[in-house]
Amino acid sequence: MEPFECKIMAVDDHMGILKMIDAILRENGYTKIISAGDAKEAMGLFLREQPDMVILDIMLPGEDGFSLFGKIRGKSDVPILFLSAKDEDADRIFGLGLGADDYMTKPFLPEELALRVGAILRRTYHAPEMQKEREKTFFLGEREILPERAAVRYMGREISLTAKELMLLIKLNENRGRIVTFDALCAAVWGDSYYGYENTLMVHIRHLREKIEADPSHPRWILTARGLGYRLAKE
Amino acid sequence: MKGLFRIIRRYSLAAGLITLVILFCNGILLMGIGYFTAWQEGADKYYGISVRLMEQIGEGFGTGGEGYMLNEKGRKLLEGSEFVWAMALDTEGAVVWEWRLPEEIPEQYSIQDVASFSKWYLLDYPVKVLVKGELLLVFGCSPGMVTRHNLVVSSVLVEHAPDYIKLVITANLLVIAVFVLCFGYRFYVSMKPVAQGIENLAAQKPVRLKEKGAAGELAGKLNEASELILEQNRVIAKRDCARTEWIAGVSHDIRTPLSMIVGYSDRLSKDGTLSKENRMLAENIRRQSLIIRQLIADLNLTSKLAYQAQPLKRSRFQPAALVRSCAADFYNEGLEGEQGAEYEFEIAIKEEMEQVWIEADGELLARAVRNLIGNSIRHNPEGCRIKVTVEEQGKGIRILVEDTGTGISENIVQNMDAPDSNVHIMGLRLTEQIAKVHGGRLEFVRREDGRYDAGICFLRSGQNQRSIH
Repeated sequence: MEPFECKIMAVDDHMGILKMIDAILRENGYTKIISAGDAKEAMGLFLREQPDMVILDIMLPGEDGFSLFGKIRGKSDVPILFLSAKDEDADRIFGLGLGADDYMTKPFLPEELALRVGAILRRTYHAPEMQKEREKTFFLGEREILPERAAVRYMGREISLTAKELMLLIKLNENRGRIVTFDALCAAVWGDSYYGYENTLMVHIRHLREKIEADPSHPRWILTARGLGYRLAKE
Repeated sequence: MKGLFRIIRRYSLAAGLITLVILFCNGILLMGIGYFTAWQEGADKYYGISVRLMEQIGEGFGTGGEGYMLNEKGRKLLEGSEFVWAMALDTEGAVVWEWRLPEEIPEQYSIQDVASFSKWYLLDYPVKVLVKGELLLVFGCSPGMVTRHNLVVSSVLVEHAPDYIKLVITANLLVIAVFVLCFGYRFYVSMKPVAQGIENLAAQKPVRLKEKGAAGELAGKLNEASELILEQNRVIAKRDCARTEWIAGVSHDIRTPLSMIVGYSDRLSKDGTLSKENRMLAENIRRQSLIIRQLIADLNLTSKLAYQAQPLKRSRFQPAALVRSCAADFYNEGLEGEQGAEYEFEIAIKEEMEQVWIEADGELLARAVRNLIGNSIRHNPEGCRIKVTVEEQGKGIRILVEDTGTGISENIVQNMDAPDSNVHIMGLRLTEQIAKVHGGRLEFVRREDGRYDAGICFLRSGQNQRSIH
């Protein structure tokens, strides 16, 4: 099942929030959205509609979200995301400890909600494909990166990448458009801290640029954030 | 307990010293009184000068027509003396010369008589004797003027007198020392629970002392004081807890409406059907509501830190990596200012700092660093350069955030601890609190233009020395 085909149930006592969640999810491509205002209604709806995921508020009139969580878990293993105005660490830890898939606090950015819902759905319904996701080819302009072959294809020619270069590129691509710090890169590629890898990392990035950049000394794709890390530019 | 021991030691030393001084004074006083009375009574004439006087009088004896007689000089001396009568005995014990001799004094003496009165009294008259040629001169003093004692001392005693004196003094000192130590120990024993009680009081531990013995009353007062302090602490804790909960409650209630503001302004800012200007306005609302979100979170955390309701979550991390990640987050969340102002980071980390790992609450420290960087961005909407330096400072680490913008005013630096809370410096206060729970502090660095940059200092071990604010 594709993530966008999933049926998502939102439970919140605030009608405005329910409407907004509905709007955010629809805007991001989800079409099957149902909502409930309290625990009783939610349970009935859940049994009737069998949603694939639940977004749950904690402070509900009558029975609270934690208790409703228990009832839903008693019937099904669907992923559940807590969306609460309670930002106490204790609540967060309690919620995640119950076995919730994620915990978000209000107020939240719409984009963040959509991303988290997407991540949970992919993780739950497409777990075997996650690895494939990592190996999916991607483009840097006209250059095609082929992770499964560890190569860059450009104008019909293939240039091979070393294992470390590929790992760097994948890490950067996973965070495309965002700066990945030296520390995060070293942890991903060498499983170590940055110290001692300063030059190694620089050399690998230079080699990588020679393979994917038209002009390695004026990079278009792998950009340096001075003193911080590198960023793979978006299209 | 060291304090108590010191008190007892001083007390013992003082007691010993006082005893010695009193003994010494007594000696001086006794000698003074003896000397003074002897001089007062004129007795010294009898003791000291009298022997010479008697010698001089003896010089004046000669034999005249009627036997022995005293010349004029001798008579004058005799009359000027304290003696009330005088006589001279010959070898047979007969009185051969006399001067004002009372009637009851016999005229003839046996050897036994002489032996007796020369040591003691002659019919109650204290007498002094002097042998002059064949004569035994006997001088009588008025009865009751002086007392005569015969002191018989063995020569062994005289010979060893210094040793005996030393022995006596040593014995005295020993007795004093034993008494002082005994009383000191008893004092120590009776004060020990009280001292323990005061220590517990200082450590805010409950005090329950037995109200018995010499320090019983003190113990009772300490118990009362402890009960009072504990009760006050309970009241304060309850109030603090209520305040923290109230703040948590209010911020909870604000979050839901704020969610709608953030959500819808975000949608509007991306709504293509709106004019660019209106999208900008919506974007402005979104940005401001995110600031409110941050303020609510800060308010919550600051009240929890102030009332110690925030447990530290320690983990091992590198401060250098933490700073890079904080700065990268700012870039990644979109750093452009309201009018597309640009911010540029400079991260200055010395090589030795790259190797440093610390154990602390990384989430809190990251928040402190983000607060400082966030201040630089918020107060410079036209953009600026931000330099973050991570360096060693003594035993600790300092993360300093400098910018080329407005900086922090003297007024804020001076009024950080002012009780009237200024909401604009909540971020700085929070940073300070985070530094403090890591055994550090917030530090201001003065620029050439008189404004300030701020940095957070904390112990390398990240050791928390929770202080009561």
